[in-house]
Amino acid sequence: MSQVFHDIEKKIISSLKNNPKQTPASLEESTNLSSDQIRRGIEWLKHKELAIVDESKTSVVSLGKNGIESLQKGLPERRLLNFLKDGPKKLSEIQKDLGYIFGPAMGLARKNNWIKSSSEKISLQNFPSELPGEKTIKKIGNEKISINEIDKNDLLGLLKRPDFIIEDVITTKEITLTDSAKLLEISNASGAIDVEAKVPQVFVARTHPLKDTIDEIREIFVTLGFSEIIGNMTQSSFWNFDALFTPQDHPARELQDTFYLDGISAKKIANSEQIKKVSESHKKNWRYHWDVNEARKMVLRTHTTCVTIKHLADNKPDEARVFSLGRVFRNEKVSYKHLVEFNQIEGVVVGKDATLRNLMGIQREFYKRIGITKIKFWPTFFPYTEPSLQTMVYNERLGKWIELFGMGIFRPEVTKPLGISKPVLAWGGGIERIAMLKYELDDVREFYNNNLNWLRSTTKCQ
Amino acid sequence: MPVVELSYSNLQKLVGKVTKKQISDSLPFLGLDIESEDKDLVRIEYSPNRPDYSTSFGIALGLQGLLEIKSGAIKLNIKKSHKYKISVKPSVSKIRPFVTGIIAKNGKIDDKIIKQFMTMQEDLHFGIGRKRKKSSIGMHDLDKITFPLVYTTTNRNHKFVPLNSDSEISVSEILNTINVGKEYGSLLGNSSQIPIILDANQKTVSFPPIINANVTTVTTKTKNLFVEVTGINKEDAEDMLSVIATILQSAGFTLENVQIFGLKNSSPKFKEKKISIDPNLANQTLGLELSMSKIISSLKKSRLNAVTKGKNIICTIPAYRFDIFGPMDLVEEIALGYGIQNLEPIFSPSQTIGQTNSVSNKLKSLDQIMIGLGYLEALNSSLTSKRVLYDVTGRGPSKILSVLDSKSQEHTILRNSILPGLLENLSRNIHESYPQKLFETGNVFSLNDPISEKINFSGISTHKDANFTEIKSILQSALKIGFGIDLETKTFSDPLFEEGRCATVVVDGKHVGVIGELSSKVIENYKIQSKVVGFEISLSDFFFKSF
Repeated sequence: MSQVFHDIEKKIISSLKNNPKQTPASLEESTNLSSDQIRRGIEWLKHKELAIVDESKTSVVSLGKNGIESLQKGLPERRLLNFLKDGPKKLSEIQKDLGYIFGPAMGLARKNNWIKSSSEKISLQNFPSELPGEKTIKKIGNEKISINEIDKNDLLGLLKRPDFIIEDVITTKEITLTDSAKLLEISNASGAIDVEAKVPQVFVARTHPLKDTIDEIREIFVTLGFSEIIGNMTQSSFWNFDALFTPQDHPARELQDTFYLDGISAKKIANSEQIKKVSESHKKNWRYHWDVNEARKMVLRTHTTCVTIKHLADNKPDEARVFSLGRVFRNEKVSYKHLVEFNQIEGVVVGKDATLRNLMGIQREFYKRIGITKIKFWPTFFPYTEPSLQTMVYNERLGKWIELFGMGIFRPEVTKPLGISKPVLAWGGGIERIAMLKYELDDVREFYNNNLNWLRSTTKCQ
Repeated sequence: MPVVELSYSNLQKLVGKVTKKQISDSLPFLGLDIESEDKDLVRIEYSPNRPDYSTSFGIALGLQGLLEIKSGAIKLNIKKSHKYKISVKPSVSKIRPFVTGIIAKNGKIDDKIIKQFMTMQEDLHFGIGRKRKKSSIGMHDLDKITFPLVYTTTNRNHKFVPLNSDSEISVSEILNTINVGKEYGSLLGNSSQIPIILDANQKTVSFPPIINANVTTVTTKTKNLFVEVTGINKEDAEDMLSVIATILQSAGFTLENVQIFGLKNSSPKFKEKKISIDPNLANQTLGLELSMSKIISSLKKSRLNAVTKGKNIICTIPAYRFDIFGPMDLVEEIALGYGIQNLEPIFSPSQTIGQTNSVSNKLKSLDQIMIGLGYLEALNSSLTSKRVLYDVTGRGPSKILSVLDSKSQEHTILRNSILPGLLENLSRNIHESYPQKLFETGNVFSLNDPISEKINFSGISTHKDANFTEIKSILQSALKIGFGIDLETKTFSDPLFEEGRCATVVVDGKHVGVIGELSSKVIENYKIQSKVVGFEISLSDFFFKSF
């Protein structure tokens, strides 16, 4: 089978056939490719076992700040000797001429007996044609030179002096072809490309993963015969609590669970008949003073049930399947399992099919459609339904039973005052919990972080 | 939901001949969730409407029924006695007019039982007591009290040694310095008089609804108990007492009655309630065809009594089951007694045709169009913060809709705009690859008799070449190709946008939103490295109407 190569690979192989040992730099020159292309090409060839990359480390030296100055003007001690060439000089004169190099230059010259002092003047004693270090500075010049090319003894003195020499280690790569690569026939004839090569990642635009689950659940409710109704997120306490038989002095209505809107009350909450009947039911069953002003207080809905109950109270259908889906709010501390704002769906069934076993059947069908088959029902308590059940579903990944949707029959204390004569079965719950199972998330906050990395990479749930 | 910690071995002893597994299998079918288990210990979550389940004694009564060890209603055996009297003075009428009580003798009390009684008391205080406002309990060592008692009022200088204290302090000090005093003191209002129970020697027994006297503290040495309940409503106080009496009797105490006189007070009767139920209601509601006898045996398993009367069943409900209001509650008791696990789900196809709401439909179409234009959908909370909406954006605060006492600083006000949230999203993704393009549709809120909720649509794009033309093209195409709507843009100025690079979006002659290049100052505030363009329009005004 003939192998297909990328253009980059072809160019590198050809170049190496002509000149078998090369560095990336020389390849760049011979192939006219960019350094990045050469780097990638070498990686690919290495991966395919067509190229061998020998890495070797070399110590190199270059001139530091003082070394460069010496290259241009001569070493400090050379400059001193030059200055003394035309006769002895006073110390002050020398200091003026040499400036800050005066100290090191005088020290070295004295130590090596190149100068001598007599009375107030300094005069030349010896004038060597080449001082230690001069050869090395010249040799290095403005380059980086391998330490192997330099006289070590001459270098040693310079290394001890500050900022004359910079030592460095560089890695050099030598690329050669493997034996099998040397036999390759590279041809451009077929126009074929490397279809097996890796390609860059591109990102798809998409709906939010949580929205996909919301849409999926909405779709299932519709196929089960439910029609969608919508309502406001801000509601009067009347529809959020009173109409659902939650007494005004009940702890559930307090600030710690419910978001009350600061200083906002509804003028019109319901028709006078509805208000009268609901208040009577409260007074009779809960024995307290019912206050219409308490019912006017606006809240962020704590469930979507306020939307369905209002729909039923206003329309009083003999037979219906409706649902409401949307954001609900709880004044809780945000954590990996709690959000202050999340999505809830709730469906109600009114009519002759409205038996508890039927509602259980609808639930079982619903879970089957989202891919959950291991379910069971447990009794539970909701303030506005009787009897009440909750569904437990088994999650394989977590290895445990998880509580999902709740369900029940609206209490007569809820339906009668609102003129709803037929039994109403309700079922529903939080959507994020289901989405967490689908996306295998353990932290519910991820849905609202809008972390692009997650949004772009999460596999779309079908 | 409240939680109680119990031990399996203790439950086994109370229930009778059952295994640990039988108990753990049955608990969920009483409506009790096992929150966690550790060998013999089990933490059980119970419903707030069943305060009798706050103790192992109450749960044992339920288990006995379900496991058919004992069935039928629990009958209170209260010995008539004339030794224990409480007289009520008229002065309490305006503060806390009712008191009731019970004597429980010869019980065994250990630390675990004291702990359970405390849990029950707290649960009753919180739930039906409405945080002690409606009614509250005092549990005392009977042998430290000399009857008869008087329930009266006193002033705030009255002194006694309160529970967990060793020195006498005044009522005012209790209300100002002790935690329970500070927490519940407001229930007494500004009245100079406060309720008090004194014994025959004028010793303080209790200062309801705040605290007991230290002298009557129940300890492991206590054998005989006196329990009083005070409240603003006689029925609620008696309901509360009936739970306590039932639990104390189940815990092995012998009950004796307390006589109460004065004002509208009288001795507690623990009267059973009788409710008639039509078997058809149960069968129709549950979807079953149970015989009369099966219904009766199911009710008995739920610890109620039931007999047939003609075509109906008369059910007798003990006083402590005040969670039962009417026949529908009995349907649930029948279902529980029958066993929820025995209810087989049935599925019959719907007779109605379902449909999505037109608003959802249109928003879904808009999602599809935006995806086609290369935009990724973001979701942000509608309850957000001043920081996101105003501080970083330089937008002038309009009338802010805030919520009271939020537990989260990031969620304190309702958004009136979506775009600031999207900007915030970009600022948290500056290290991800560009271009970044986001859109969101969702509710925004404004003050309007009382609140108007509208649906807004916003998009944002950031990359080094982002410009006005690009973002106008996007919005124009989304509305035109998606929905046949034409738009115009007119020069505008907005603090969120760069001066001279901002326009108002006009549809059918109406201003519906803004579009433009985001102000460099705002971008800088968010530490975003490249140019940002965006728009936000209100859909409610035109989008849904054209359908």
